[in-house]
Amino acid sequence: MSAAPETPFAALRGQLHEAAAEFAGGGDALEGILLGMVDDVDRAAGEPLEIFPVCHHSPASALAMARRLREKQPKVVYLELCEDMAPLLTELRNCRLPVAVQAFAGDIDGFPADWAPLSVVAPITEASAEYQAIAYALDTPGVELVLVDRSSDHVFQWDTRHDRSGAPDGTDGDTAAPAGAAGTAAPATKAAEAEAALHGEAVGVEIGDLRPRFAELEEHLLRHGKVRHWSEWWHQYVEVPLGDSDHDTYRQVMFLIGSLFRRLAPGDGDRVRVDEDRERYMWTRMREHLTATGTDPADCLYVCGAFHAASRVDEFGVDGTTGADGTTGFTISPRTATTWQYGLIPSSHTAIEAQFGLAAGSVSIAATQWAKNLKRTRVKPYRLEGQAGAKKPAPTKTAAKAAVPVVPVGAEDRLSGFLRRPPVVDTLDEAELLGWSVDIVRAARRSGYLASTADAIAVFETSILLAGMRDRAKPTPYDFQDAAVTCIEKDSVPGRRDVRRLVEIMMGGDRIGQVGYDALPPLARDVYDRLAPLALNLEQRGVRRALLDMASEPDLRACSDVLWMLRRLMPPGAARPIMGERRLGERSIQESWDLSLGTHQRALIELGYEGVSLEQVLEQRLRRTAYGPQATTAQVLAAVEDATLYLGGRRLAEELGTRALEVLAAERTVDGAPEVLRRVRGLLAYYRTSEAVLPPWIESFVRTGYAHYCTLLPTAFRDEDATAGQVAAMLGFLFSMESLALSLGCDRTQLELSVAQSHPQDPAKTALLWAAQVQLGTLSRAELRARCDELLGNPLVVPSYPRYLSGFVHALEPVPGLADVVVEAVSNAFGRLPDAVLLPWLPVLITTLRSNATELAPLLIREAGRIFPARLAALDAWVPPWRQQPVALAAARTRPDSTAPGGVALLPAHPETCDALAELLGCADGWEPAGTASRRPSLTDRHPDTARAVAALLAGA
Amino acid sequence: MSELLRAPAEIKYAEELDWLESIDDNPKPFSWRLSPKMVRLFVLGSERADGLDREVAQKWFGDRSIVERSIVTLASDRGLLLIGDPGTGKSWLAELLAAAISRNSTLVVQGTAGTTEDHIKYSWNVSMVIAKGQSRESMIPSPIMTAMESGTIGRFEELTRSTSDVQDALISILSEKYVSVPELESDGGGDNIVFAKPGFSIIATANSRDRGVNDLSSALKRRFNFVRIPVVTNKKSEAEIVRFRTEELLRRHQIDLDVPPTLLDVLLQSFADLRASSAAAGSDDEKLESALSTAEQIGVLEDAVLHSNFFGERALTARTLAASLVGSLARREPEDLAILNKYLHGVVEPRGKEEGGSWPEFLEGGREAIAKLA
Repeated sequence: MSAAPETPFAALRGQLHEAAAEFAGGGDALEGILLGMVDDVDRAAGEPLEIFPVCHHSPASALAMARRLREKQPKVVYLELCEDMAPLLTELRNCRLPVAVQAFAGDIDGFPADWAPLSVVAPITEASAEYQAIAYALDTPGVELVLVDRSSDHVFQWDTRHDRSGAPDGTDGDTAAPAGAAGTAAPATKAAEAEAALHGEAVGVEIGDLRPRFAELEEHLLRHGKVRHWSEWWHQYVEVPLGDSDHDTYRQVMFLIGSLFRRLAPGDGDRVRVDEDRERYMWTRMREHLTATGTDPADCLYVCGAFHAASRVDEFGVDGTTGADGTTGFTISPRTATTWQYGLIPSSHTAIEAQFGLAAGSVSIAATQWAKNLKRTRVKPYRLEGQAGAKKPAPTKTAAKAAVPVVPVGAEDRLSGFLRRPPVVDTLDEAELLGWSVDIVRAARRSGYLASTADAIAVFETSILLAGMRDRAKPTPYDFQDAAVTCIEKDSVPGRRDVRRLVEIMMGGDRIGQVGYDALPPLARDVYDRLAPLALNLEQRGVRRALLDMASEPDLRACSDVLWMLRRLMPPGAARPIMGERRLGERSIQESWDLSLGTHQRALIELGYEGVSLEQVLEQRLRRTAYGPQATTAQVLAAVEDATLYLGGRRLAEELGTRALEVLAAERTVDGAPEVLRRVRGLLAYYRTSEAVLPPWIESFVRTGYAHYCTLLPTAFRDEDATAGQVAAMLGFLFSMESLALSLGCDRTQLELSVAQSHPQDPAKTALLWAAQVQLGTLSRAELRARCDELLGNPLVVPSYPRYLSGFVHALEPVPGLADVVVEAVSNAFGRLPDAVLLPWLPVLITTLRSNATELAPLLIREAGRIFPARLAALDAWVPPWRQQPVALAAARTRPDSTAPGGVALLPAHPETCDALAELLGCADGWEPAGTASRRPSLTDRHPDTARAVAALLAGA
Repeated sequence: MSELLRAPAEIKYAEELDWLESIDDNPKPFSWRLSPKMVRLFVLGSERADGLDREVAQKWFGDRSIVERSIVTLASDRGLLLIGDPGTGKSWLAELLAAAISRNSTLVVQGTAGTTEDHIKYSWNVSMVIAKGQSRESMIPSPIMTAMESGTIGRFEELTRSTSDVQDALISILSEKYVSVPELESDGGGDNIVFAKPGFSIIATANSRDRGVNDLSSALKRRFNFVRIPVVTNKKSEAEIVRFRTEELLRRHQIDLDVPPTLLDVLLQSFADLRASSAAAGSDDEKLESALSTAEQIGVLEDAVLHSNFFGERALTARTLAASLVGSLARREPEDLAILNKYLHGVVEPRGKEEGGSWPEFLEGGREAIAKLA
């Protein structure tokens, strides 16, 4: 590159040399920087392969690009974009921009496992230079588009952020951290937040990131430019002056800016290394391509960020350092074994701004500016044929026109002229400003502000005054925003949006892209196809309400199946059932759903990377859960349940069920016992009602489970880590599955033995053991009561009584018949325990009951309701049944032969009615009292009032 | 100047204003003494890049665009209403603007529940009326009317504290820009009307905590541009403000006492913590009654400085600072004290153990102060 002609910039060099000498004494860093910048420009401009420097979201870049492409008609376009994304670009025409090209890897190989899933997005807007290049190259026959930047795989290979701190730190080269990361612009409203998160967790890559690399420089530029945001500075100091400048000026100025930011950067080694590696990578690729195809470098155009155009790596240029064999010294490292999936996902201006740390609204303003520039300059932009969302179809292009003779590049010094020119001031566009002022007042009125024409006038006036204070004739959109806020915003915001947001919306608002049907992965298309009977436009954003009446339209059952699977697989909110539910053995006949698939298009597309149909993806995910190294029995059973619910058919359910069996057999803890019990119960109930015979796997599961839990029971009783709840669940499994297990060949002796072996030390578990013994019949209820009484009577044990009680409460699960004893025990506790023991225990009781609210509480409450008096009045005379019992028993025992017919005392005493009835029925024998002589006074004798009253009544009648 | 306890801005910075006026060659609206750009420079201070021969100190700390919007509003047809939490520097900004624009920041009406229409328009010198009858001589113009007559900036402090009928008297002043005096006979020369001269405008301030006391009518709102002054939460600029104001106060009290930077950090950090806890609080009972503004911080510091100067060892300690903090912020007996107690034990104590420094002493002082108050 040293062969670059010395002449063009000699004058400029001389001037800068003088300047450096005057301001800094010469021969120091300043001169190095100033002259180095000219060297950079010189070098880039003199490169035989035309370099086209761009800046992202710069309408001037896009315009210059469109102009240059029309003029030069290059045969090959090299673009700074991940090379592996190339096949997807043609699908852009099926989408409404902005969309992002995504590379996604769920299963990673060669990266640390905790990085998964990896995702890279490259958002593409219509007002960008790269879109111009893509549209030109794809729609012009004979033109080749070559992406030359490192692959998505290398983005992560070279990513040093993970090594450093683990936390992404904003931007890195042209890559940007996920939108959610700290340091990105904070969106104003919640809605905007949702839109800003459109890219999810992906790492963003963008062409032409051009921004000062050190904060002080940016701050300095902003302060002296009297602007608030970088985008605003760029617009005022680069965009406007470059406006209609010719190609050479454009290039040289962009080279200069790129070089400036490159030279005035702090020495962040990692970042510089990645940048330089990328430049080496790109030049290596381009040279490879040139050698392979034999293309003349003069017929090519290399589109890259201005920052990279000012590169100083050895590989720079067609004639850069080459090895002996004609290749460069830079070897591209091989990709890892990770399989990458590619797709297009919807993007939005807000998402781009959030991801790349741009000012809110800047991308929208750029889009508006682009449209205005097109109108003003009458440049015909390139647009992919059949571009979705385009107003009119782009004119069909014929073969490349005979290219205009290529202007010898970098021949003249356009820089000096540009730098010497007085600052270009955008002239006041009164009509436009008036239009804005009227529009914002109208918009403000619509959102509840008391704004009037007077405000429009004030906004207009204030905008001009503000712009004047900030040294510009034409108010920028940001000046206008300030003016509108000053004049219209009062002490409170009447509606949903404040004036600031209204201006943002007015200036173009957010535009959200959409991936067209044809560009979707097969799974997403399949979903849309299968939901077609709902007759809803699900591709549109927003919530759609779907009503499914399966009774009248059985066809909709298939749709319902799809929706339930979507609910299982997609993020919450994508498909939300309003009415109807699906549980084992239950299917609603009517369902209504809130669907927002359009809003969650990215999630649907990412689902498409996993398989070709929902069923396949679901099956894969269930398998992955079930066969994962950390899978527990409960999780596998949940997978079985999901397989039965969503996929139907018994194949997968059986396979997973068998897997559950394996996992259970290998489990050595009882942590999951409660969940296992719940799930198995549910599945058993389902199979019993819906299938003629139980599936073999569940039979063996019960059998194995019975043996398994019998084996573990003594250990669990002693194990300090096993909670009472877990032991209760084990017992629950054993007792409630007992009959089935015994019918399948299990032996009850095993259970009896294991209970006999159990010697818990924990009071709660002891109580559980007693309950189990009662259930097994080795302990009578009377004995159990006596033990409880003993506990209460022994002052040494009283403090631990509550823990016994906790055990009893848990025992309701395996031995629900013990409810009355539990109520008694609890009542006794309340009645007899000292407060110091009772009160600390109460929260424990409440939390236990609450955590098992569905099963235990109703049981206990019902039993308590049966035992305790229902009315307050009855309470005084109430004696708890357990206190009565001894008396009742004694009474029963003192009545050796119950000759007295307990309930028929009234009849023998007053036989008249009965006799009369008998007579009517034709039985004239009359009443024969039996053994009345030996009877004790009857009930009526003791309480004669009722009878007398009835008699009086009858007599009266 | 030394004879004044507190000199208004135009006297305090008279020399600087003179100098700025002498070098100002930008166009000036109406009868303004300085051009808008110079007003901004006066308020926000100069930089090297401004290319001035001398340095102009920054006098108000806050967002640049707030100052720009305020200046531009005064150059337009509308009045300026600075709204914000107490202690955010509204009145100080108003004073600076009035001083820079019209060299008179003393035409102030203080809005209170007792403010009447006379305070805004005019009243009569009763003895003169008896002696000479009603005439322009026997009329006592209000500060606002004086501002109208002289084409300068009038100020209305705490606009929302005055009743709505008084507020509404401003409507005609702001829209018609004249006050008619019906008591005087019209002799055809407009003697019974006081017209505003070009350059007249009003800077009002309102406390956003007073919302709902005397809400502005929408007619009056329409005639004001609202500029909201936020509470400064940026630690760096807050430190700047506190230092700037405290130095000024110390100079005024002629106290020679250093504020150690570590103690300033403690003060700023404790306010930041308390603000965070107030923001997280669910109900009013869980947050301090104080707005925790920068002015309050200055108050706390001033209090501590005075205390240590007159009663202490002539050196500011963390203990005094904590006592002053508790004393200034505890306004409601159980609630505020409970919050401060919680703060001291939940935040300061662990921090003291972790970082050491002045925090343990700060904690001690706070505890003592709470114990005394409780």
